[in-house]
Order: sequence, then C-alpha cells, then structure tokens
Amino acid sequence: MYQYNEVDQTLVDERVEQYRDQTRRYLAGELPEDEFLVLRLMNGLYIQRFAPMLRVAIPYGLMSSEQLRKLAHIARTYDKGYGHFTTRTNLQFNWPKLEEVPDILAELAQVQMHAIQTSGNCIRNTTTDPYSGVYANELEDPRAYCEIIRQWSTLHPEFAYLPRKFKIAVTGSTEDRAASQVHDIGLHLVQNDAGEIGFEVLVGGGLGRTPVIGKVVRDFLPKEHLLSYLDAILRVYNLNGRRDNKYKARIKILVNALGVKEFSRLVEEEWEYSRDGELTLTSAEIERAKSFFTPFDYDVNAATDTSFEQKLAEDSAFKTWYERNTVDHRVEGYRIAIVSLKPHLKPAGDITDAQMDLVADLAEKYSFGEIRSTHDQNLVLADVKKADLYSVWQGLEASNLARPNIGTLADMIVCPGFDFCALANAKTLNIADQINERFDDLDHLYDLGDIQLNMSGCINACGHHHVADIGILGVDKKGEDWYQITLGGSSREDASLGKVLGKSVAADDVANTLEKILDVFVEHRQEEELFRDTYKRIGMDPFKENVYAPAH
Amino acid sequence: MPLLINKNIVANDSWQSIDTESLEQAQALPSGDIIVPLAFYLENRDDLLGRDGQLGIQVNGDDDLQALYAEQGNIALVAVEFPIFRDGRGFSIAKHLVRTGFKGEIRAIGDVARDRLALMQSSGFNAFLIPEDRFSEEDLNAFTEVSVNYQGTAADPRPIFRR
Repeated sequence: MYQYNEVDQTLVDERVEQYRDQTRRYLAGELPEDEFLVLRLMNGLYIQRFAPMLRVAIPYGLMSSEQLRKLAHIARTYDKGYGHFTTRTNLQFNWPKLEEVPDILAELAQVQMHAIQTSGNCIRNTTTDPYSGVYANELEDPRAYCEIIRQWSTLHPEFAYLPRKFKIAVTGSTEDRAASQVHDIGLHLVQNDAGEIGFEVLVGGGLGRTPVIGKVVRDFLPKEHLLSYLDAILRVYNLNGRRDNKYKARIKILVNALGVKEFSRLVEEEWEYSRDGELTLTSAEIERAKSFFTPFDYDVNAATDTSFEQKLAEDSAFKTWYERNTVDHRVEGYRIAIVSLKPHLKPAGDITDAQMDLVADLAEKYSFGEIRSTHDQNLVLADVKKADLYSVWQGLEASNLARPNIGTLADMIVCPGFDFCALANAKTLNIADQINERFDDLDHLYDLGDIQLNMSGCINACGHHHVADIGILGVDKKGEDWYQITLGGSSREDASLGKVLGKSVAADDVANTLEKILDVFVEHRQEEELFRDTYKRIGMDPFKENVYAPAH
Repeated sequence: MPLLINKNIVANDSWQSIDTESLEQAQALPSGDIIVPLAFYLENRDDLLGRDGQLGIQVNGDDDLQALYAEQGNIALVAVEFPIFRDGRGFSIAKHLVRTGFKGEIRAIGDVARDRLALMQSSGFNAFLIPEDRFSEEDLNAFTEVSVNYQGTAADPRPIFRR
C-alpha cells in the first residue's frame, strides 16, 4: 500500500497543528462559529445529536494492521470503544470531545492517517472496488489512480470551497462494487480499440433528495490526462454550480440544468487550457503510484494444500461461511475473505476496539497486514491462503465477525439514523433489528438469494436506499416514524433508481411488509432467479397489490 | 482595513473603492487610482479609460467574467469579492486571471480572513483586504502553516510530481 514520504508526513503533521490552532482560537472566541463550522467540517468533525462525530479518512478503503490498531486505540481512549464504517469506506467515531480532536488527529498522523476532507464542501475520500488488485477480471488496479487523485485533491487551494460536497469513485473492471454511477464523478478504467488504457468519465450522479445516475461526458480519457480533466470539471462546477440553494448545489443539478452536451462542451473548453500542461501525468508518476500496489509475494505452493478441503468436509459451519463470505482470488490457492460487520442485532458497520484489534492481528498473520473497508460497510481480508481460512474463520467467529450473511437480506447498508444523526428524521437501527429478528433463519435467506437492502433515516440518503433491490427510507409524519419502501434500485454496473412501492408503512409494519414483498418474489420466481431479475420481469404491480391488498 | 500585499502589511492603500450607487455621473469620479464595479466600468468604459489614474475592477462570481477577462489589458487591479465565507468562486476567478496572463494586483475583498489566506495566495491572489475586527498581525503566519503542497500554485504551477 501507499507509504507516506516526507512531504505527505509534513502535510498531515502541519495540518494537525493548523487545526489545533483553529480549535484554540474558536474556544477563545477569536473565530466565529460559522467559520469554525466550515473549518472543522473540512477536518471531518460534525456536531451530532449528542456529541461531535469525527470521520476518519480511509483512502480508497485500504488500511494496514498498524492503522487499524490505531483506530482501535482511539476508540478505546477517546471514544466509547467502537467505531462505525460508512459507505464512503471511512470510519466514524461518535463520541469524541471537541477539545480532544486535535490530539486524535495527531495520533492518526503517527500512522499516516488523517481526517482531511471527510466532510465539508470539498473533494471527499475517493473510493474504489474493495477487490482491487485481487479480483480476476480486472483491467488494471485502480488504486494507483485513487492515490494520484488523493494527492491532487488533498488541500487543493482552488477547490476547498465548492458549492457542495464532491465524491469520486474509480473502478478497474466491468463490475461495479463502488457505486460509481451515483458519484459526482465516476471513473471506469477501460481499454480503447487501440489497446490503450484510459477512463470512461461519468459526471453528475448522486443520491440525496434528487437521486440521479451519472452521465458519460467522455467515452475515453487517456490516463495521462486524468488530473487535467478532473481539474477542468471541478473548475466548471466551482464557477457555475448553484450557490443560492444548498439542495440544488451538487454537480448533478448543474449537469441536468445545462444538459450533458453543454456541460461537456464547457469542460472541454476549459480543458483546452490545461491539457498537455503541467497537470499531465508523467509515466514516471503513474509508475511510482503503481509501485505501491504491486501484487504480494504469494506462496506458489498455496494451491497444493489439502488441509482446507478436509476442514470444509469436517465443519459445516466453516463450509457455510466459506461459501457465503469468501470470494475467488486471482491467484490460485487464495481467497478474498469478507469480515461481516452485520452481526445479528448489532448496528451495521459498527466495530468494537477489540474487534478492530482482532481483525488487525488476523490481517497481519494471514493477509499481508492489509485490510479493506467496503462500500457496503464490511471489511475485507483480500489475500488469505486457503490453508489459513479455517484459522481466520475461527478468529472471526469467536469475535462475532463471521455471520455468514454476505450478499443476503441481512447484509444491509444502514445509516446510523435518528439515534445518532442530527439530520435524520427517523430511526433506522430499531428497524434493522426488527428485520433481523424476522429474518433470522439464514437458510431462508440463502434460499432467497442475493438481495441488497439499504436503509436511510432521511432523504439525504447516506444509506443509499435508492440503489438497492429493496430500499427503506425513514420519514417523519407528525412526530412518528414511517417508512417508505422502494424496489428495483441498483448501485452496480446496471445502476438504477428504485421506484416507490406505495404509501409509507408504520414502524411496526416494516418486517411484515418485507415479508409480503418477498412472498411475491418467491411466488413468481423462476428457478434460481435473483430478486432484481424477478422484479425486472414482473414489474411493480404484483408487489403493490400484495402489500396494499385490503385485509379480509 | 488592514491590507496585505505580498505577505506584508501595507500602511497606505493607493486605491480607492468607489461606491457607484451614490455617484451621480462618471465625471464626478475622484482623481487617483480607483476601483469600480464591473457593471459600472462597462457602462462608462470610455470616460474611465480617458481619465488619469489607474483603474481597478471589482467582481464576484455573479458577474460576467468573460467581460472582465476581455478588459484586463486596461486595468491594473482586480478586486475579487468573497460575499460570504462559503463562496469559493473567487478562487477560480483568480486562477483564470493568472492563467490568462494578468500581471496586475489580484485583491481579495469581502469575507477575507486568516484561515483562507494561504489557499487564496496559492490560487493567485497577491493582495488581501482584511476586515479590521478579523485581523491580527499573527495572520501573516497563515501563509506558512502548511509548508508543502501537492498542487501547483500561482507562483509555481508545477504539481509535486513535476518538481
């Protein structure tokens, strides 16, 4: 993984001291509240319902064992012993003290981490496929480009006060595990007819109150032009994005208002000034970035192991976990293992300090000391030898991190909701529990096949409810929590926005409603068809009829 | 209001900002170096170009920036207004001015205070008019708080990988 050099380290160290001084001046009354708000947001610090919330950047979801141990230490020392992984692959601490945040940032800087630009109207943490570099069907490892973007976007002087937040995702294969089409910019590594590798560039995707799928503004961008083209997009947005209404300030609104053709024209016009200029990536720089993401020194004898097959035969619980929670690795004899942060009746994405330490240890022992966080709020040990899977599973199992539910209805994306978030309209955690209690039979979940269920506690859509097979949105009706259900969304390569099933349902009725939806699916399903395919085939009406049928 | 030019506190500002609302006609303009809003400049272009003293134009992100860039050969100063703290359009305006070769003073006015000075300077500003109540001499330290940068700056447009 990327290792800081002197410049990187100096930057985060000095940034910590800069923020320490800003905090001091704020507490001394020298810095107005509204200015400090903007400054602290750019360091990832929100003021939440009960306490500040600090969001730590995990660049493109990759961290080392040492870094995860540091996060565990911070959770233990400065917080209440846990953290929460988000869909941006970042980690949130829910209970830090405002005065202690500079110290937390200093701790992070010791392990090459920071909280820069995890919030605020600036370029956020760039995300990617959690299987980057280890997935068989990859064109190129996108992480080198993510790191190039990380550096370019970090403390960018011109783009620190954009009309609104700005999110970029990069993918390296035709499969999309980064929800790239609902990002402000989605970059897909592609190959042109001449065999050159570059990017397909999408702009203007996003969720929130106006969900939009991103539009292609360039079919093929040669990779050396990555930064100059991003620079052009950002400048067009910075100058032309709406500033009068924060709900209409995202780039998706600008792209829709101008039309993608006119927007592209403005970008190309702006790009004329900078293409082939200083921002053009040199091949030395691309190679330097790539050098941090070269394949590990894999055991050439890994595939000859037989102990693994024996364990599979002996231990059915292990076998189930193996089938559900591990994925093919490009190297024979290795697997990608998913650490489920969706244990039964615990908040999705939450992890305790002890669990962080354990995952860090397992990674160090069995997966080259690296951990990835995923868009759907799990962790990944990307390089586990098959012979070691049993040990990894045992470790995870003992720490409640091996629930074999990846891809099932119980592998939900859930925002923290009203219990923590000051923006939320409704609770989410109690609803997730209700669903988990109703659908606690894993065999039943396996029979249903892969179903993505996402839940948000308000229209800001942090839980990405629009792009799930089944989306649940909490709404407030006269002080009561109600839940609007959408069907047929996807954040994958076939990205689409879910459609509203009908009027919202009461809090007590969410699991009942899900059951009715799934009944329709089971009734109409052909063979092993997935929920999304059945929905595409039969449409919304059968679901609507069953859910809203008058009681007899 | 304290004025910083090239990281120094300047005691005397030779420029006078004209409140064109209270001005009866362009002929009543004072002598010396004056800053006028872009719209006023465009309406009174010939009168303004005919007078003695240097000209400056004041803009913000709502203005027709192409009209400004077309006139930059006639002026010695652009005052870019930051109407509120969150408005970052001025950064890109400065970037445009530098890129198109404007050699005069690029002055940040409005909501200008310590915590954005370094970003403004990197984007191309070389003068900062800071409200009295927001100014302290320590503000000069702001320019060196973070001593390294990945991006190019107005002074050295090379990003880190070309240095």
